[in-house]
Amino acid sequence: MPANRKYGMDHPHHSWSPLPSRTCLRWPNGANLAICIIINLEHEQWEIPPNSYVASNLAGGLSPRPWPDYMRITHREYGHRVGVFRVLAALEKANIPPTIAIDSATARMYPYLIKYCRDKGAEFIAHGTSVNSMVTSRMSYRTETKYIRETMDALIEFTGETPRGWLGPEFGESEHTPQILGELGFRYVCDWPNDEQPYMMTVPTGEISSLPIMLELDDVNAMWDRKITVKNYAKMLIDAFDRMYLDGLDNGRLLVLNLHPWLIGQPFRIGYLEKALAHVRSKKGVWAATGSEIIEWYREQS
Amino acid sequence: MGKSLYPDRVDYLPIHDRPKIIWPGKAKIALWVAPNIEHYEYTPETSYGRDPWPRVPHTDVREFSYRDYGNRVGFWRMLDSMDRYRIRCTVSLNMAVLEHFPEIGRAIVDRSWDIMSHGIYNTRYMYGMTDDDEMRFYRDNIDTLYEHTGKKLKGMLGPACSETENMPDLMAKSGLIYTADFLHDDQPVPINVQTGKLVSVPYSVELNDHVLFTASFDGDVFVRRCIDQFDRLYSESSQSGRVMCIPLHPFLIGQPHRIKYLDKVFQYISRYKGVWQTTADEIAEYFIEHYYDDYVERAISLKKNFTHAG
Repeated sequence: MPANRKYGMDHPHHSWSPLPSRTCLRWPNGANLAICIIINLEHEQWEIPPNSYVASNLAGGLSPRPWPDYMRITHREYGHRVGVFRVLAALEKANIPPTIAIDSATARMYPYLIKYCRDKGAEFIAHGTSVNSMVTSRMSYRTETKYIRETMDALIEFTGETPRGWLGPEFGESEHTPQILGELGFRYVCDWPNDEQPYMMTVPTGEISSLPIMLELDDVNAMWDRKITVKNYAKMLIDAFDRMYLDGLDNGRLLVLNLHPWLIGQPFRIGYLEKALAHVRSKKGVWAATGSEIIEWYREQS
Repeated sequence: MGKSLYPDRVDYLPIHDRPKIIWPGKAKIALWVAPNIEHYEYTPETSYGRDPWPRVPHTDVREFSYRDYGNRVGFWRMLDSMDRYRIRCTVSLNMAVLEHFPEIGRAIVDRSWDIMSHGIYNTRYMYGMTDDDEMRFYRDNIDTLYEHTGKKLKGMLGPACSETENMPDLMAKSGLIYTADFLHDDQPVPINVQTGKLVSVPYSVELNDHVLFTASFDGDVFVRRCIDQFDRLYSESSQSGRVMCIPLHPFLIGQPHRIKYLDKVFQYISRYKGVWQTTADEIAEYFIEHYYDDYVERAISLKKNFTHAG
């Protein structure tokens, strides 16, 4: 539906709220910046289920090739076998608890990774059924509800916890997604990269917040889609952090960083993440937390 | 429906939970350098599942000839660097190069390099091959290599990185011992096949000159990536030996404005001890002889120990 030319958003999912109009947000212990790192553990299916939608720019390998695309699938699998351990070690060293966005295929097939991440203090959030099965507006309300429910049930079964957060594969949503997430009891959604603070979504049932990711700082967006060198990527992370840290003195900011172990976990890349995180941890007034910790704190304040 | 790549083809074993690899001479890193020596047909068939020259109606002289430059000029310039730094390459070879351009074949044989198949032509993909087609394809590769070089074929990187569903089974059935089409690891990994033993010796699209130089990256980025990759793997190798692959294309790396960056990489690496500069053939053989069985055993026991309750 085309937008109506009137004040505010042209959709019903959240209200319009320019940042300077908000009251001051403070994080625990008066911190001016909260940092949350979401690590995506994604499975690329060998055979794509019928009616699945695959993002045209889906990353990995040599860019999309005819089936069977061993290179793309195995390039991504590198994350599960090798990369994720480097990334988790980097977070541990920087004392940042991981938030793991995991799809149901990975959760089912990699029990070792679930245990390993849990031992590192991870929070698991739901991330669809696989990276090549996106949520889009082509799904009916029923199909989408079933898809999200299935993902949720798989996480309950394989992680033993009910996921509180949702990140759609490749940020995929239909016009119904926030409503369905609310109905299913999710507490937050990470698909909307439009802010530097959490905010409330408007849903008929349930209570759901947005935990906005900084899209330009997403490793795949920066280094795969936009071909930024890892050296410049690290500089961009530090520049963003420094500015948000400063702006956070007036009104607390939130930096949500989304990482993919198959990419940032490559041997020649990981050192640059370590350097950027060392910079983050050298500052006082930074609160490193999982998605749920941030959302629950935010909800208590507002 | 055949086997799924994961988890059927490859058993999961995290990098820190494997037999500790020590390369010959107590080396920390096995380094293999893989120039792709290719021939793209002037007027290829378009029935192989992908259009080799999608830019214009065939033929595309610009794209054809740009790649041919690699064989006429770039290869020989690259050869100077290899000789200067005494690099023994693993050539990823379109076998028809041996027939069209035997001088290149002789230069490879004279240097005792190893050769893995990269198919017959870079414009004949494997997509859609039947099992019988594919068995004949391996026979052709094996025979052509033997006829022109006297060498036994041990591994393959699919032509233009094309593959088939049953590729690992049929490679092993044909007597090959490694595939380079998997990018999933920093070490060799056993691949489950119906008969025999097959391992992956991981290739790279991250340090690949083709990937870098057809995007906006320059020679400095190539050098930085290679050095950073080397440093990281070298430092991690105290836990267990690592493999590093530098894939090249003479039509790209052999350009006059670019070759010095390859020299810089070799200059840097040559300062280090503990580098086993070898070939994919030797990496695969060494791994199969010393670590394959132990790896498989551990993977099976991990599968038993880590199952979801219920």
